[in-house]
Parts: sequence; C-alpha cells; structure tokens
Amino acid sequence: MTLTIGDSLPDATLCYWGENGPATVQLSEKLGGRKVVLFALPGAFTGTCSTSHLPSFMRTAEAFKVKGVEEIICLSVNDPFVLGAWAEQTGATAAGITLLGDADGSFTKAIGMDFTAPPIGLIGRSNRYATLVEDGKITAVSIDEPGVCDISTGERFLDAI
Amino acid sequence: MTIAVGDTLPDATFVRMGPDGPEAIQLGDIVRGKKVVLFGLPGAFTPTCDAAHVPSFIRTKPQFEAKGVDAIVCVSVNDAHIMRLWGVNSGATEAGILMLGDADSSFTKAIGMEFSNPKVGFYDRSKRYSMLVEDGVVTILNEEPATGQCEISAGGTLLDQM
Repeated sequence: MTLTIGDSLPDATLCYWGENGPATVQLSEKLGGRKVVLFALPGAFTGTCSTSHLPSFMRTAEAFKVKGVEEIICLSVNDPFVLGAWAEQTGATAAGITLLGDADGSFTKAIGMDFTAPPIGLIGRSNRYATLVEDGKITAVSIDEPGVCDISTGERFLDAI
Repeated sequence: MTIAVGDTLPDATFVRMGPDGPEAIQLGDIVRGKKVVLFGLPGAFTPTCDAAHVPSFIRTKPQFEAKGVDAIVCVSVNDAHIMRLWGVNSGATEAGILMLGDADSSFTKAIGMEFSNPKVGFYDRSKRYSMLVEDGVVTILNEEPATGQCEISAGGTLLDQM
C-alpha cells in the first residue's frame, strides 16, 4: 500500500511527550471530522529533518491555519522521550506543531512508507511525505524520494493544497 | 538466553556519529585485549538514564581508569543521531564515555537483555545493566531488577566490586 488520494488512513496508536511524561493517542481521534496536515520524516535529530523539514512547517504553520488546517502533525518512528527532547530543542511545540511517534513503526509499515538503512542505524523508519487529511481521508499527498526533502516541505505542500 | 559471568560477548555492529556522519563500530574491536566497562539502558533522554545511570559513570570514570579500565561504553537501542546529541547534552561525550547505538537491538537480544513497554513507546529496548568485560569475557554482571531503578547497575556499585 502507498498513500493515495481518496484513501482513508488506518488507525494507529501513537505516542507523544505529554505534560506528565509519555502518553498515547489514537490517530483516528486526531483526524475524525477535522482537517489535518500530517507530515513524516526519518527521525528526530537527523540532519535534514531538524534543519530543513520540521522548520519548513514551523515557518508555514500560520499559513496552513489560514487555509483551514486545524492541526499540523509531524510523525516519526521515535519514542516519546526522544520526541520531548526534540520538541524542546527545536521549539516545534511552541510553533504549533504536534510531534507524534509511531514507536513500533506499525503505522508507517501499514501505509507502505517504511525504509531501513542499517549503516546509519535507521531501522523501520519513515520516508518523507506530507498529506492533507480531511475527516480521515487523504485529499492531497506529496511523497519525496529517499534522501530528498523537496515536495514534502511546508512551503511546497502549502502551494500544492 | 541471558548472558552470564564467564560468557564471551557476541560481536556486534554498533552505530555512532563520526566526523563524516553515522558510522559503524565493531564491539570486538573495542573489547579485544582490553578491560572494558559496558552498561546498557532503556533509552536516550529517559529520566532514570539521564539523571542517574549515565552520570554515575561520568563521576566514577577516573576511578575506573585507576583500576585499569581502558574504555567505558554506554549501549542503548537508539540511532546514531540521537546518541550523538544525548552524549553532548548529558556530558558523557566530554567525559570520554563511548555512546553507541544498538540500532536494530541485535546485540541486546543476543545477550537476552531486551524488553518492550508499548505504553511508553519502547520496543526491544535494553534492560538496565552493567558489566566488566576482560578480553571479551564477562567477569562481573549486574542486572537491575526494574528498569526504573538504578542501584545495582550504577557506576559506584561496579567500582566497589572490582
């Protein structure tokens, strides 16, 4: 499976760093009856993700809201402790980005977006993509080639929707 | 099977951040002919690991060296990027502790130390332990009974046993 316009996203249990530490949330609760941007990347603290991909959505968060987007979710195969540290370092939470973790990679595998690169220690991680999801259904999607951070960036995706 | 005193450690490929990006490092190259302290823990940036376990080895590093220890190695099921930043933030890298990622958990599983706790997003992570390894053979082993504790596996305990 891959991400296709018109498809519904499968449900998933995702983790995040909450006020009292690690917590979980169902993806369906985030998507039901709402307009949400979900973008994904290989991992917290990795070069391109930290310096380019995540910041591109922090810059464009307000512009997405103007287009009616209620929440911007950044998804990666990481645990909540790492996400908490990454949020603190990048300022993502303050910029209005929700960092969620697909800790066991099951959602990423279910949508066919997983990749593995043992030499750099990335196992079952997520390719780079951005989707607009309305009431659980994909209405726009941009998937980048491995190693590229281009059409799934905030600016490019904002232009696409 | 859980590793025991007298066993030879299996070889393993760990990841770490080198000058040109992530690189692989063989455990065999670190332990061969050397006296090495190796400790494992559930994950970078987790409270007990960050506040207690890693600092316990930063504090005691000079005393380990005085007892002939050539290297102190911290192993966690994390990737090279995370281990690099955690090493810097925790002060472990500056203290000279090797921060190595067992990214696919193969070493942790091979020595029987893996556990999962989906509630906190942990899959095939490492239990908390410390060991002394001499020329690849485990000569002292301390496994913490619960991952939220850090007593028997702390640096001071191992130091007293040597």
